[in-house]
Amino acid sequence: MSSRFIQIHWLASYPATLLNRDETGLAKRIPFGGTIRSRVSSQCLKRHWRVAGQGSVEASKAHPWSLANVGVPTGSRSKEVVERRILPAASAEINASQEAMDSAKEVLVEKLYGTKAADIKQRQALFFGDPEIEYLAQRTKEALTQEQPEAVTESLKSFFKDERANLRALKHGAGLETALFGRMVTADPESNRDAAIHVAHALTVHAIERELDFMAVVDDLKREDRESDAGAAGVFDMELASGLYYGYTVIDIPLLVSNMAEDEEAAAKVVEHLIHLIADVTPGAKKGSTAPYSYAEFMLVEAGSSQPRTLANAYRKAVTIRDGDMAESAVSALSSHLARLDQAYKTGELRRQLSVLDTAIPDCDAVSLDELASFAGSHVGVNRT
Amino acid sequence: MKVLLLRLEAPLMAFGGVVIDNHGVIDKLPSASLLTGLLANALGFRRGETARLQRLQSRLCYAVRGDRPGRMLQDFQTAQLRKDDKAWTTRGFPAGRDGGAKTYGSPHIRYRQYHADASVVVATRLDPEDDSPTLADCASALTSPARPLFIGRKSCPPSEPMLIDLVEADSLSEGLEHVPLPGNCDPQTVWLYEQNERADDASLIRLAGRRDWKNDVHQGTEYWQRSPWGESS
Repeated sequence: MSSRFIQIHWLASYPATLLNRDETGLAKRIPFGGTIRSRVSSQCLKRHWRVAGQGSVEASKAHPWSLANVGVPTGSRSKEVVERRILPAASAEINASQEAMDSAKEVLVEKLYGTKAADIKQRQALFFGDPEIEYLAQRTKEALTQEQPEAVTESLKSFFKDERANLRALKHGAGLETALFGRMVTADPESNRDAAIHVAHALTVHAIERELDFMAVVDDLKREDRESDAGAAGVFDMELASGLYYGYTVIDIPLLVSNMAEDEEAAAKVVEHLIHLIADVTPGAKKGSTAPYSYAEFMLVEAGSSQPRTLANAYRKAVTIRDGDMAESAVSALSSHLARLDQAYKTGELRRQLSVLDTAIPDCDAVSLDELASFAGSHVGVNRT
Repeated sequence: MKVLLLRLEAPLMAFGGVVIDNHGVIDKLPSASLLTGLLANALGFRRGETARLQRLQSRLCYAVRGDRPGRMLQDFQTAQLRKDDKAWTTRGFPAGRDGGAKTYGSPHIRYRQYHADASVVVATRLDPEDDSPTLADCASALTSPARPLFIGRKSCPPSEPMLIDLVEADSLSEGLEHVPLPGNCDPQTVWLYEQNERADDASLIRLAGRRDWKNDVHQGTEYWQRSPWGESS
């Protein structure tokens, strides 16, 4: 069965933390099903997956599964955008001679991949999406209408010279982060790269559990001074919340592959890496004072082509401690909700789960994180419309 | 006439209104542009196909039943921008950032409003009916869309399948009667929203709901009335 979408559901527990704050310094909240829950915003989750919790893309190389560590295959199609995408699109509706095409190819390869780009395998990966390909193809087409090879070369070279700054920016945005998270330019919607990933705000499956932690700061130098008063150097408070969060993400497979210059193999790797990142990268602030590091206790990955949907409604009725162990109750609630949806809509997604808990979704293989990631990656390129 | 019935429900939804500054405001009901974008996304339209989008929007008429009003949530977002950020454009020169370098010392702040825990039913028709895409095309696209669907913003995925049904009805509000009220709503707070041609009544809701897709700006004002559900017909 073909899959256009991969849906990722996760449950992760973060006790005594302040993962994501609003402008008043309190934990972000969301009312849901009559109770207030604590929340981690979509933008917070995305940022931390993008930088693998390390604060910058540079530093994220320390995390084995960061996007910076996605190994691009040597034979990646992203190294052949000129031959596979730009030239065919540019010459589709016109009659260009082989010499003209060769001239165009020479300029394009040199300008996009550098001077030593004759050996395709040595080229860097350029993850152009459709907007970039179309733009370059359009300019190439204009050059090809010159017909004479020398004129074609001249035309393309002057285009690259005139638009040097623009094209530098174009190449700069050709990375994996853009392929996954998109890039928006309000001044020019046509150059927008749409994000291949949709990330919902994460919310707790139960009512918010929070405590205002009052703290006083001791000034040791002040204590040594007999003249000084005995008061604290400062008094502060910080809200701490404990939560079992439910999160939901959808990957748009055809768009991801398109954003990655049609390199399905690299796109599959990006998906695998993302599953690992979702499982263990913290979205949390206050690292020094709360050590907000957790691994997901439960993950469910679905592959299919029906309209993706969050399972958050399993938690409209907030889970309470009266139901027993919160995590077990949470999986149980998800399971019943999923069964009801299946019965009503029969959408037929393929599923795998990962669980450190006793409760599990019935009729769904329980696998390790590596296997879960491979399962997700295996659905890239099965079918693309 | 044929009426397409949709359920819009998610923990967070954004019926985006006109944005002037860094406040992402929302309206009480979804705009025609939101519904056009939603159907176009399901059908696989591309961003640049402005003529197709405009045509679809011009054929669209709808009414809304607000089953659960939910509460307004304002989300705080910061983004560290840099003066030297550049992005390529199709115009030949990169887009940069205006203003002096010092203004980028602190992060850019945005406030985005959402409807939390709301649920609405939308009854839509397309006029003329037999132009492409038809409502039947839309219905099958919604079941198996070209791309993931979202309600107003990408961080708002729906909680359940959006398509309820495609029915025959004499009016949009009659179409809505095909959808029973969900168990978890208070019948006293269910409103019917219908478009109204009059502009002189202060109690009407003003909506800049129709978009000029080519020029990427909303234009004109529509007037909508709301009445308690169950009062009419």
